[in-house]
Amino acid sequence: MGTKKPKSKNSSNGNRPRNGRVGPGLRPGQVERSSTGSPNHDLRTYSIPDYRLEHPDFAVRQAIETGKDGAEHVRYEVEGDLDAPVPPVRDSKYLDKQQSIEIYRYMLLNRKMETALENLYKQGKVVGGVYFGLGQEACSCASAYALDKDDWFAPMIRNQGSLLVRGFGARDIMMQYMAKADSPTKGRDGTAHFGDIEKRNTVSPISMLGDLIPVLSGVALGARLQGRNLAVMTYIGDGGQSTGVTYEGINFAAVQNLGLVLFVESNLWAYSTPSEMQYRCQDLAERAIGYGIPGVIVDGTDACQVYDAAHEAVERAHRGEGPTLIEAKMMRMKGHAIHDAASYVPKPMFDFWRKRDPIARFENYLVKNKKWLTPKENQDLIAEVEAEIDAEREIAVNSPMPTPESAEGGVFCENGCHEIKPKYGMPKVKKGTSGFKQTEAAVHLK
Amino acid sequence: MLLTYLEAIRQGIWEEMDRDPTVFCLGEDIGIYGGAFKVTDGFIDRFGPERVIDTPIAESAIVGAAFGASLTGMRPVAEFQFMDFIGCAFNQISNMVAKTHYLWGAPAPLVLRGPSGGYVHGGPFHSQNPEMWFVHNPGLKVICPATPYDAKGLIKAAIRDNNPCIFFEHKYLYRRIKGEVPAEDYVVPIGKANIARQGRDLSIITYAAMVHIALEAAEVLKNEGIDLEILDLRTVSPLDREAIVQTVKKTNKVIILHEHSRTGGLAGEIAAVINEEAFDDLDGPIVRIAGLDSAVPFSPPQEHHYLPKVEDVVRESRRLKAY
Repeated sequence: MGTKKPKSKNSSNGNRPRNGRVGPGLRPGQVERSSTGSPNHDLRTYSIPDYRLEHPDFAVRQAIETGKDGAEHVRYEVEGDLDAPVPPVRDSKYLDKQQSIEIYRYMLLNRKMETALENLYKQGKVVGGVYFGLGQEACSCASAYALDKDDWFAPMIRNQGSLLVRGFGARDIMMQYMAKADSPTKGRDGTAHFGDIEKRNTVSPISMLGDLIPVLSGVALGARLQGRNLAVMTYIGDGGQSTGVTYEGINFAAVQNLGLVLFVESNLWAYSTPSEMQYRCQDLAERAIGYGIPGVIVDGTDACQVYDAAHEAVERAHRGEGPTLIEAKMMRMKGHAIHDAASYVPKPMFDFWRKRDPIARFENYLVKNKKWLTPKENQDLIAEVEAEIDAEREIAVNSPMPTPESAEGGVFCENGCHEIKPKYGMPKVKKGTSGFKQTEAAVHLK
Repeated sequence: MLLTYLEAIRQGIWEEMDRDPTVFCLGEDIGIYGGAFKVTDGFIDRFGPERVIDTPIAESAIVGAAFGASLTGMRPVAEFQFMDFIGCAFNQISNMVAKTHYLWGAPAPLVLRGPSGGYVHGGPFHSQNPEMWFVHNPGLKVICPATPYDAKGLIKAAIRDNNPCIFFEHKYLYRRIKGEVPAEDYVVPIGKANIARQGRDLSIITYAAMVHIALEAAEVLKNEGIDLEILDLRTVSPLDREAIVQTVKKTNKVIILHEHSRTGGLAGEIAAVINEEAFDDLDGPIVRIAGLDSAVPFSPPQEHHYLPKVEDVVRESRRLKAY
């Protein structure tokens, strides 16, 4: 580790100063924005609340270095303070002891389920790849925990823990991965691509990113036409938010004032692409300013911060106050999927974020800090979670594969397979006052 | 009563909104303006702004939001100002909406509608007939009416259908044709073709504005002793295979006529169907008349060259009759 490397040449990719650092003497998070630099105008200032107790400041750049053999290699290097101490978990304004332990339990289920999935993959029982939310369990579980039963929800691939919070079983996710006949999609899709519009108010994701955002906004619109202000929660990554449909969806929710609670999961890597090459703003929460909605930053590895922000956003939605954009900062602790060793991630970043493991932090908080769990209770809880995952695994593994013929059918809803009714009651509509009048459209041109 | 094609559609949507509180409209400029072609003229006054929503210019959001609303049991009718712009929502339609019922059992009872077609000097981005992109996508119903009666009956059927229906209204027909439309409530079944003209010698299988081109050609040809049968498909997907087979069995000679470009067009699909189910009934090769394999050009003489014409149908009919 001590050899002095020659200073590498920076590539131009993602190597532009991030918006906001104008003027000396600014505290972290305090920025002045001026597009012209001229003093002859009013300066607008905006604020983005930041719940975090630390403000990690590092940047990833592509660097071109010449090896001993004279060949050029391009790799990522990270600059910044990666030795900062881990802050404490921030006390929640809303969570009591029982709720905190429940969230912790879901996080443990999330983690143990993914370990089981990894083992199933290594045993050759999984079809295709496995996607992990390692390091993101607090974000998945604490956010979904803030929803009411009636609220709607759509996970992304790495939010498998949130599906457990919403009432799905670990077996559902395992059967999806193993392409079993009894999976929620009867084998027709894998991973977290499933939903349930009847009981668990969950919309299935598709592989394309950002498309859930206008869909969930539409759910809120449909519900509002039936007299209900629902919160509709979904997620998007720092990579996924680059798509056009993300913009269209958030903007639609903003303009229509729909209760979208959007978690932007800034986990720093979109497959192999660092966030510096996805966007140029300082923090994705700042996009909220552009949409005209509240934005807030939380530490995604702190379950209390995630819950508090989610809770406040859900309440706003229920009051009919419209969308909220919550940026949760953390890092994706494995590769994009199981085949990806993520060797492109500079090692110091893994070290930094490993110390901030959400489960370890929350465990420490509950056991040592709040003393809401004795060490024995904690061990018992962990053992109970492991037993549940084992039981779910047994059921999933022993369930049958689909028959080939089961691929057929169901392309259309026909022959009364669904009776479609407004879920929250018939919309109250204006009574007919103007009768149908033929207008200018009836003029017959030739 | 005698209504224009446009007025029939307008009446159809109005009656469904009157009848069913879960039906609502969204799209660009459909509210106070009444829609670029005035299809929703008067709707916002009668039904209120909650049910007639002006959206931002964001087709992916329009389709996505319509789909989301349909998941709560609403029946949205989303307008594309021109069906040329449907490409902007392609991913939402093909990957979100079309697959939802097959993959996870969630029906999508939404209607995507808008004006399509040429003959109005609209140029390449206001003259398209993009239906084939969606015919090729399982899970969608694609509807292209040719008459006021069918337009009203099919828009009602589409709104009542539990599946996503893409409803292509031909803009040339909007105000240029009138037809008898009953006063009482009626529905035209999706997936059923109609014989627009009974004939003995030759079948023209076609739809939308081309039906009227074929009818004009029939008038020319009857004086030469060529009696055209014209099958109006009305629904382009699912195809009415039975009606196609029946007309081939009757006349034994087929011309397939569509406005959109030739390669990868519907005529290829129909020819394959005829090959599978009525090969022995053919007394001649299946003939296609279609638009050119290019964008629809703007300048009137060029657009005229691109689009199928009455004389194309007359010429090909004479040729096939003589085979």
